[in-house]
This record gives sequence, structure tokens and C-alpha cells, in this order.
Amino acid sequence: MNREIIIDPVTRIEGHSKITIQLDARGEVVDAHFHVTQFRGFERITQGRPVHEMPSIMARICGICPVSHLIASSKAVDQIMAVEPSPTGADLRRILNLAQIVQSNALSFFHLSSPDLLFGFDADPAVRNIVGLARENPKFALDGIALRRFGQEIIEWLGGKRIHPSWIVPGGVAQPMSAETRDRILAGIPEAIAIVERALTWYKAEMIRWEEEATQFGNFRSAFMGLVDRHGNVDHYDGWLRVVDADGAHLADKVDPRTFGDYIGEAVEPWSYLKSTYWKAMGYPDGVYRVGPLARVNVADHMGTPRADEELQKFRWRVGRVANSSFHYHYARLIDTLCAVEKIEELLRGPDILSTHVRAHAEVNRHEGIGVSEAPRGTLMHHYKVDDDGIVEWANLVIATGHNNLAMNRSVLQVARHYVKGNDLQESMLNRVEAVIRCYDPCLSCSTHALGEMALRIQLLGPEGNLLDELVR
Amino acid sequence: MPAENALVEDAPAEDAPGGDGSAGVLIVGYGNKLRGDDALGWHAVERLADDSRVAEAEVVWRHQLTPELAFDFGRADLVILIDADATLEAGAVSALRVTPAPGSEGGPLMSHHIDPESLMVLARELYGAEPVVWIVSMGPASMDVGEGLSPEVERAMPELANVVARLVAEFGARHGA
Repeated sequence: MNREIIIDPVTRIEGHSKITIQLDARGEVVDAHFHVTQFRGFERITQGRPVHEMPSIMARICGICPVSHLIASSKAVDQIMAVEPSPTGADLRRILNLAQIVQSNALSFFHLSSPDLLFGFDADPAVRNIVGLARENPKFALDGIALRRFGQEIIEWLGGKRIHPSWIVPGGVAQPMSAETRDRILAGIPEAIAIVERALTWYKAEMIRWEEEATQFGNFRSAFMGLVDRHGNVDHYDGWLRVVDADGAHLADKVDPRTFGDYIGEAVEPWSYLKSTYWKAMGYPDGVYRVGPLARVNVADHMGTPRADEELQKFRWRVGRVANSSFHYHYARLIDTLCAVEKIEELLRGPDILSTHVRAHAEVNRHEGIGVSEAPRGTLMHHYKVDDDGIVEWANLVIATGHNNLAMNRSVLQVARHYVKGNDLQESMLNRVEAVIRCYDPCLSCSTHALGEMALRIQLLGPEGNLLDELVR
Repeated sequence: MPAENALVEDAPAEDAPGGDGSAGVLIVGYGNKLRGDDALGWHAVERLADDSRVAEAEVVWRHQLTPELAFDFGRADLVILIDADATLEAGAVSALRVTPAPGSEGGPLMSHHIDPESLMVLARELYGAEPVVWIVSMGPASMDVGEGLSPEVERAMPELANVVARLVAEFGARHGA
């Protein structure tokens, strides 16, 4: 008799989802799925809106990475208006985007994932959380809070507020940066770097403890995608798309991001509201690729900043030129964060960063625009079509979590096969199934979209849907 | 762990802010500004920012409670959180004292936001701070998509401000601020 385990919802991620694990009569895992069980449909909602409203609407579709949507949307509208932001305007956008990456990565690593890493995946859930973290290692918890505050404060100082800022506009940014704001941010750079480097030192010293997870958490061959600049460095704001295979060979390079539709297909499955994107040349569902911090360190030749490049070299020495295990998202996320802090400093020290020429003005000059940037969780794409009056007729959002959907499903199956034995439900093994999803730090709010959380519920169901066993956290 | 709450009238007398006589007050309004009355916390702090009765308070708005607010809790002696509470009648105002149960670990951070009890535990563990925390709530009439408050909630906003001002004044009087 086949049976099914359901983990509903998955905790410590943003949004609603559940995991189902199909068992055969012997209790062995035969299949597994990561279901996203919510629908919000922003592409449809935006039809009929004036295109100049799109950045401010898009900034509101997610409370977790609003800056990323603001940037991708503004870049799409830049194209429709046929304007190019001034160098200072573009650099100020970059700073805001990097601040978003710092705060989001800090939340993911320090607050959501580190309890698993610090206490172990077998630890009591009552202590395996941020409060337990504060008791066990208060310095670590303080570092997490301080680093996230640093990123949030940059967003607030530049964007006017932490959540849903509207400072970035088509053509650049709304206001120049003051010398006072620049100096305030610069004053926080040394501590931010010290925090990330402390976390990296700890992580590298401890990673031997997670060897088993590293071999079982989404450890498979796939492609990786991210933006790189003309030197092959990670580019979080602009640049070309590069796709590499599991050995690092270029499947595509110097791809104009506006042509992403030539390379990436979107599929829909009946069991999830989250689209599954795939690399067209490899077909569906074999065209699995990953995006986000792990992909960024895998596709780039260098990070492009001194400290992060030094860490990248150590990363590759430890895990290889291309890290194929999704467990290494955690390690890559720290290097990505270090790079972001260094880049913020580099941009702030630019000679023209206080220039008042930060915005170009224009009207609708094209009927179509595509904006692409790197969000904390990976490559983000906004594609709009408008009529002669600039009214949105069609919109498509390709979200990082959607890029990772096939990989997340494959990862869940791999972990389930290794750890889950259907006749013996244990919280720790089910947490590992959840934990592999947390490696990707999925944000379901903007990929489908909704907010919310519930207590963890795991159900073991028979083939007729009858409840055989239940575990409630 | 559920909070152990009390009505404002039942506030215990031993609300010591740490014994230094200071009374740093933090007022946090939170909620979604695009969901009608769910934004009443934001509307409240917008008005309280210009209210002379709470002139010494730090007044902020947050979309939701997040872990880094533990830092702000750690600097405060009195924290007043303002939020919508769908269990109340539209326009009804409630003030509840938040006290984590003895031995409480707070709730785990399951998503990207955190509950008041956990913030109190974090402030205590990380900053050695034990601010007095109140939640001042009001019942919403509508949390549908849209900006602006319903007439019921709009009418009750002065009462909510009065409750907040009274909590601040009582705390100040009790602790000599």
C-alpha cells in the first residue's frame, strides 16, 4: 500500500507551502514535491495600470525584497521610456540593491538557518530557534541583528523607509544622496565587514560537522545562472546573463538579459502555484538550473572585491570550482554578503556619488521593456508590454524562487530518500527535509504571492487519503 | 507561549524600568498600509509623532515585527505596540500588558517576522533589558485591499491616542520621568 507524508506548512521561509512525500508499501520514499499553496496573480492585477506606477506597485508585492522588485521594475520602465540613468543614478540604485542583499542574507543566515547549523538538525525544536541562539551564542545573535540593521538602515536613509521604499524611479533615483548619509553608511562598513568575516571564520571551522548534509542536501548536477560584468565579476545590478553547467563550462555567456525568453521556458504543474522555469536547450523538466548566492559564486570568475575574492578562492579550494550541493548556499551567502558590503563602500567612495544629476525624465517611447537584476535569492526579471498611452497590457514576473523550483523539488526528493523512513516519523528527519528548502531561502510572497505562517503539521496518509499518522510541532 | 495579558486598569505596580529613573519610550505602529484598517498602527504613529503628550517618545512604523527590533527594545524602558486586532469589535480599543510566561522561550522565528514575547526575550538575553511592553489594539472594520481607514476606526483613533498617552503618562509618573 502506498502512503504519503505531508509537511504543512514548511516553517522559517516566507509564505505558504507544504511538502508531500510519497511512500511505497515498504515505507520507502518513491516521490516528493514542494507545493506552493497560495495564489495572488500580480501579473493580472497590474493590467490596465499606467506604466509609471509599476515600480511603486511592484515594490509592494513583497515585504521581504521590495528593493529588488523596485529595481527590476524601474529598469523595465527605463526601457519603455528609452532613458538611461546617469552614472550616479545607477550607482545609487546599486547601493540600495546591495543593502537589500546584505539585510536579506543576514536574516536568512543568522536568524533562519543558523539555529539548525549551531544546534544540529537533531536538536530539540524548542531550543533550535533564534531565542535559543541568543542564549547559546549571544555574540552570534547580536551580530545577526547588527548586520541586518545595517542593511535596513541604508535602505531607510536612502529610500525613506525600510519596507516598500519608492526612492528608485524610472530614469534613476528621486533624490541625490547627502554627504551626511554617505558618511553615516561609511561609518558602519568596518563593523559590517567584521561581522561577516567572523561568521565566515565560524562557518569554515564548523563545516566538517555538516558533511553528511552537504552530500545529501540537493547535491546533484545542474546548471547555474547569474549576472556578471564585462570582467566576469558578479554583478548584482546589471551586466550579462551567464549560465554554466555542473563543471563550470559556459552553456551561455554575454547574453543580453532582455533576451531571456529565448533561453528560459516557464512550465506549470497542477500541484503548485509556483511556476517552474527551465533552460530551454535542455528541455522540461531536465533543464534544471539554480540561481541565488550559490549560482553567483559558481558562474562568476571573481566576486570583484578583495576580501570576497579571497574567500571565494578558499570556497573553491574546499568545495570545488562549482559547488553542486545546495547546502553550500549558506557558505556562498556569506561570501555574497561580504562582497555586497565591500561594493557599497567602493561605490560610496566614488568621486561623483554626491552628484545631483540622478534622474532622467521621459515619456513612453517603446511598447515593451524588460528589467533584470540580482535579488538576494537570485536573478529577477520583470517584463512589461504597454499601449501607446503607457497603459500596461501584459506583465510577466520571473522570480528567483521560480528559477529554483525544479531544483528545490529535486532536492526534497534527494533528502527524503536519504533521511525519511515512513514507518518511523521523527521531527529531526523531517526538519532536514524542510532545511534543504531553507538553503534556497525561498520567498513565496512575491513568487505566487502571500504572507503567513502556521504551526508545522505532518500527516501520513494512505492511498485513499486516510490519515495513518500525524506529527504536529 | 501565550502571553499573560492584563487590561490597562489592572497594570501591576511593580513595573520597574531598570531602576535608573530614565523612561525611554518606544512606540511602534505596525501593519500593512495597503490593507485598510490593518494600517491603523501606521495612521496612529503618524498622528502621535506630532502629539505633545508623547513628545519624548521615539515613534516608528514597521510593516511587521522583525528580530532587529530587539535592539530598540533593548534601549527602551516602555514599549507600546499599536496593531489591529480582528478579535475586537470595529473601533474598540484594548490595551494589554505583554508578559512572557516564566521560563518562556518566546516563539520560534518561523518566517521573517517575530512575536512581541520573543522580542522581549531577545532584548533580555542580548541586551539585559526588560522593558514594560503593552499592545494597544483596535478592532478593524475592514482589512480589504485599499488605503485609508474605515469610518468606525477613524472615529476611534483619538481614543487610541488617548490610551497611548495615558500609558506613557502613567509610566512616567510611576518612574519619575
